[in-house]
Amino acid sequence: MLKRNPLVLGNKTLKDVSDDICAPIERIPSKEWMGLFLGAKGLFIFYILTIAMVISTGIGLLGVNHPVAWGTMIITFVFWVGIGHAGTLISAILFLFRQKWRTSVARSAEAMTVFAVATAGIFPLIHTGRPWLDFWLFPYPNQRGPLWVNFRSPLLWDVFAVSTYATVSSVFWIVGMIPDLATVRDRAKNAIRKKIYGALSFGWRGTAKQWSHFEMIYLVLAGLSTPLVLSVHTIVSFDFAVSQLPGWHTTIFPPYFVAGAIFSGFAMVITLMTLVRIGFPEFKNYITIDHMEVMNKIIMMTGLMVGYAYGAEFLIAWYSGNDYERYVFMNRAMGPYAWSYWIMVSCNVLVPQLFWFKKIRRSIPIMFVVSIFVNIGMWFERFVITVTSLHRDFLPSNWGQYAWSIYDTAILVGSFGMFFTIFLLYLRVLPAISIAEVKPVLNVGKEDEHHGKGH
Amino acid sequence: MSNTENKIQSDNENRKIERDSTYWRSFEELNNTPEFQKSLQTEFMSSPLREESKDEGSETDGVARRDFLKLMGASIALTSAAGCIRRPVQKIVPYNKQPEEVTVGVSNWYTSSYFDGQEGLGLLVKSREGRPVHISGNPKFPLNGNGASVKAQASLLGLYEPNRLQKPFRNLFNEKRTNKETVGVSWEELDTKVVESLQKGGVAILSGNISSPSTKAVIGDFKAGFNADHYVWEPLADDVVEAQASSYGEAVMPGFRYDKAQMIVSIDADFLGTWGPTMTNNKRFADGRRNIDKMSRLVSFDSTYSLTGANADIRFRIKPSQQFDVVMGLISEIVGKVSVSDAVKTAVAPYNGIADKLGISAEAFKKVAADLVKNQGESIVVAGGIQTKTKDSMALQVAVNYLNSILGNDGKTVVAGAGNKNLTASFAQIKNLIAKMNAGDVKTLIIYRSNPFYSLSADLGFAEALKKVPTVVYSNDKMDETAVNAHYVATDNHALETWGDSEFATGVYGIHQPLIRTMYDTRSFQLSLMTWAYMAKVGPKRIQEFETYYDYVRNLWKTEMAAKVAGGKDFESFWNGFLQEGFVGELATTGSARTFKGDVSSLKKSQSSDATFELALYPTVNIGDGTLANIGWLQELPDVVTKIVWDNYACVSIKTAEANKLREGDVIELTVGGNKLSLPTHIQPGLHDQVVAVAVGYGRTHAGDVAKGIGQNAFTLAQGGLYAGLPVEFKKTGQKIELVTTQGHDSMEGRQIVVTATNKDIQKSKDANIHRHHTWNIWSGHQYNGHKWGMAIDLNTCTGCSACMTACQSENNTAVVGKKYVMQGREMHWIRIDRYYTGDVENASAVFQPLMCQHCDNAPCETVCPVVATVHSSEGLNEQIYNRCVGTRYCSNNCPYKVRRFNWFNYAKLIEKPMHMALNPEVLVRARGVMEKCTFCVQRIKEGKNKAKIEERPLKDGDIKTACEAACPTQTIVFGDLNDENSRVAKVFKAEPRAYELLEEWYAKPSVRYQTKIKNNDQVTPKKGGGHA
Repeated sequence: MLKRNPLVLGNKTLKDVSDDICAPIERIPSKEWMGLFLGAKGLFIFYILTIAMVISTGIGLLGVNHPVAWGTMIITFVFWVGIGHAGTLISAILFLFRQKWRTSVARSAEAMTVFAVATAGIFPLIHTGRPWLDFWLFPYPNQRGPLWVNFRSPLLWDVFAVSTYATVSSVFWIVGMIPDLATVRDRAKNAIRKKIYGALSFGWRGTAKQWSHFEMIYLVLAGLSTPLVLSVHTIVSFDFAVSQLPGWHTTIFPPYFVAGAIFSGFAMVITLMTLVRIGFPEFKNYITIDHMEVMNKIIMMTGLMVGYAYGAEFLIAWYSGNDYERYVFMNRAMGPYAWSYWIMVSCNVLVPQLFWFKKIRRSIPIMFVVSIFVNIGMWFERFVITVTSLHRDFLPSNWGQYAWSIYDTAILVGSFGMFFTIFLLYLRVLPAISIAEVKPVLNVGKEDEHHGKGH
Repeated sequence: MSNTENKIQSDNENRKIERDSTYWRSFEELNNTPEFQKSLQTEFMSSPLREESKDEGSETDGVARRDFLKLMGASIALTSAAGCIRRPVQKIVPYNKQPEEVTVGVSNWYTSSYFDGQEGLGLLVKSREGRPVHISGNPKFPLNGNGASVKAQASLLGLYEPNRLQKPFRNLFNEKRTNKETVGVSWEELDTKVVESLQKGGVAILSGNISSPSTKAVIGDFKAGFNADHYVWEPLADDVVEAQASSYGEAVMPGFRYDKAQMIVSIDADFLGTWGPTMTNNKRFADGRRNIDKMSRLVSFDSTYSLTGANADIRFRIKPSQQFDVVMGLISEIVGKVSVSDAVKTAVAPYNGIADKLGISAEAFKKVAADLVKNQGESIVVAGGIQTKTKDSMALQVAVNYLNSILGNDGKTVVAGAGNKNLTASFAQIKNLIAKMNAGDVKTLIIYRSNPFYSLSADLGFAEALKKVPTVVYSNDKMDETAVNAHYVATDNHALETWGDSEFATGVYGIHQPLIRTMYDTRSFQLSLMTWAYMAKVGPKRIQEFETYYDYVRNLWKTEMAAKVAGGKDFESFWNGFLQEGFVGELATTGSARTFKGDVSSLKKSQSSDATFELALYPTVNIGDGTLANIGWLQELPDVVTKIVWDNYACVSIKTAEANKLREGDVIELTVGGNKLSLPTHIQPGLHDQVVAVAVGYGRTHAGDVAKGIGQNAFTLAQGGLYAGLPVEFKKTGQKIELVTTQGHDSMEGRQIVVTATNKDIQKSKDANIHRHHTWNIWSGHQYNGHKWGMAIDLNTCTGCSACMTACQSENNTAVVGKKYVMQGREMHWIRIDRYYTGDVENASAVFQPLMCQHCDNAPCETVCPVVATVHSSEGLNEQIYNRCVGTRYCSNNCPYKVRRFNWFNYAKLIEKPMHMALNPEVLVRARGVMEKCTFCVQRIKEGKNKAKIEERPLKDGDIKTACEAACPTQTIVFGDLNDENSRVAKVFKAEPRAYELLEEWYAKPSVRYQTKIKNNDQVTPKKGGGHA
């Protein structure tokens, strides 16, 4: 029988697990954490101010123009929504497929999902010309006729898709945390702390009946989330695919976007987990090199999938015989934005090929660098799709360039400030690894235990 | 109106010579009744104060507190009303489609006219609640018709310019006679001082061309009174009129009948863009090409890339020194085919076979000559404009005149009798004036609407000469370059505040009605002259007699002019008819051939062609001589050929740029003689390799806030009135100035955008070169049961003059955003003219395409808007609902034509007062963050429909004209109802083989169809493989 690698290292007892995982919540924050947090928070405040400037002065502060009417905000929106996908994939789909290795990364991956979707969700709201009227995008009863929204518009589908996704993934995440929050509550020595975590754990007492209900609801929510992993980015891709712009109007977009989303999501998980391992060394026993290696394999696979999509797009553009589409793709690879295209291809297709080598797959510094490249590449993928398609379309008289401004940079960088602020806070106040899910897999891969217990 | 203004007004009213402010009052005043005199004592004519005072026999008391309060309330209300409604009270008669009085919300159209020193236009000016808001051509006017040049249309904005002077000024000078301080003065003070000075003798007047008989009469009377001299000079003056005088004994700018010509040869005469009556020329040129079976051929020898060159069927690039060679070469080619004297034969013999030297294919050159011979009496040869102001300018013109004479064109296509005799400006005159000033013979110089400090090159020494003039009086409405050097600025009215008349072609008189009472404490130049003559008690009776210029004009017409043109009608009805129609008189259509008195055999070329690079200065269509440089509409209007905005630049050819390693925007320093000027480079396809072309009219230092820092003054490169052919050197400075264009790319990339066919192609098949697509649909589409609006655009008659763009900007309140934002692609024009270069890049030819919202039946924008802010109307319009728009901009992304414009910032808030008065109240001013685009002038559609409904008749084709259509001099744009079988558009859509949809295969089903552009060059377009690209 094939020997399984243990999922948790260091011969942990059940108590050790609780102690280790609760440690970051219960101790005074380290200087490093404080430094990172203040930095992220500074960036977040800067981001808020930038948004305030943009809303008060006009979207014209950014580089969006005629003909490139969508820019940094939409690009970064798709980027962050994409990031979110790995979390749901890990927590829901892998749960349904009974992948036990997911337990130690699921919580953080899902937290990442919720925060990434929150970060992303701001963009569609602030990218409009009159953000104070954004509520018109929701079909609410009104006295204007009533005047309904346009159900034919992919942007409207987007509103539903993203808000559904945000809701379901938050609920899934919060529900999954209930037993752990109760653990934190039980360990609390401080009355206020006890109250807060008590409230958050919804009165969890750990009875068999509660466990039975919990597991059922968790399963149901996993079932609900699973199609969302596929549908959300499919619908985001419709924003492009349903339009008639060459370079956007492509049937390959839904699967291509989903693959890209998972690709970028896993890269972000790797980025965050390598950092978490450095910040909280006790987590190294739970988030092991094996975990990282598995995720690197997924990155490599999805990287090949997007690479295939890049190739397929060119093939179809040529095969279609459509001159406008042919031109758009030639222009991507050779036009004024060729640099962005080749950054995208290098980061997304070439760099992940390093993971063919086991040594590299298991090297924390290398995988960190690769994951950063993938993040960059995936941002550029959206840049390439949005900007290069728009900037040279049908009538050459319209051709133009995106007028990148300092505000574009501020918005892009600032959004990381928001994400990291929330993520760092999360690491300090919520159990970053699922205690309740790790404990049952303590025995996996240990020879003195009888096999099959977990199966 | 503010209280201070009221104060000024009442002060004025109490003055003895009561002129300026009463200018706007009316009939009682003419009779000067005692009641009227009395009424002058009170500020408000209708004030009950006066009545009550009378009752009590006292002038001052008798007003109870409550009455006072009541009256105060009423007067505040009245003054604010008066502030809103600035309607001239003297009888101006609106165009015949108007209600009896001004109705709020209903616009009136008044006839008027416009003259920019070169071109005269008959206008219709739209007035809303007493504010002029839109200018378009008077369709009945025998010259320009529909067409109104961009400058004429944009002059509207000049009325509301914040930089316009609001009262008279006086400049104080230091010892060096440079401006120390500008102070306001009262008219009394100015008048007293000026009259004192005038009485010392030595009076001279400097002005531009004057086309108004009344102004000429006033100046004449003034000259008689003060024994003054009048000098006429224009910065853009050429030698056409002088050469006419020397060739035919008649100083006239002839009327060129481009509509009657089959063969037109232009040697650097940009008659479609900047030379002569351009709107008239455009109209006639298009008329000569509308019938595609018998369309004229335009051959252009072009040393800049002019609009005329861009419209040429065959364009040759030359350098300015070759202009004379071209004409002599043409004469030598036709010697033997038409009879010429032996002397001429000998004279032109050296020019035989000149084509090779000019770098032109000899065969093509011979064909031009052959075509001229073939079309004797039906051809035109023209040269003119400052592009021809080389040393040989006179010789060139004489040779051109000779060519026209021997071809039998004179009297047929070159009609002196229909020409303009008022374009008498010349450099000789200003040189005379400078000589007189230097000699100390000029004691008082009155400058009227002429800006020599800006537009006269320094070598002529005007500035130094002016220091020797003890009193300089300037009459204009800006504190411009010349104004700051004048002792007194007798601030002139804006043209829209002034009465006048015009004679733009012999025997055709136009009226110039004011549209608004003077907004500020200004006075027309004519009234200033009248006042000074009155105060000095000199001159004929009529200049002293009248208190307003209006009275003077009317009197002149009553006593002198009417006799010529009234045809025995009684004066009142004649006058009313005149005001209503906007013109009287008939345009001579033909004349008899005049005897050519010039001497061609002695014409010698003095201009050397040896210089490595030659300078060619040229005016642009939008900026012209720079007078209107402070008008944002004009600065933001893309240059008709280069499509660059907000700048001038040095154009060089592609080869020259490559040889000198110049890239677009590299700043080069030009040296002409001793003068240097640094300008960014523009690489211009189709330019002669030895030409550096620079636009004049930029680099205004005192034009106002808009023009400040825009471009460089290229007039400084001129030498003694020569603008072209001067040897120029340049070197790279290493700096770079970004040139901003509204067009991203100049090539059509082989796509079916502007379909071009040659006359030979068209002979074979009328729909030549159009690749049609089979399209089909799975749904039935929209049903249009009432009207279905559509537009047809004939690219064959579109000359790219851009009048439609300014018309649209004025009609639809589209914002001007400035250079920085145009650079970022944020210009707001709802209609634009795309210009593509075709053919060989070195010798590129150009095609134009007006593009606005196509109002697609399957509009891609409509489906993607999440909030239904853009919807399809039952009449086929694609409507944008500004109030509903949240600004996702998805519609713009999904628009294949990219005609939508987004309000990136709150542009409306930046409109400086009183510029807001130029806004059209019928069109919403868009807020920040909403998308906007062409509406097919939906407000005009509504107006037309309402009018038909009130008159209880069905809507007729042509009742509704969009702003672009109304302004188009060539009737390129036709708007109408596709459901009306007999409408012009429906006929084009159904039956015109040249009609095609832009991006037809994309199946948006646009409501606009274009018609093939035809190049009449006797070539055959080679077949491309595999249909269209």
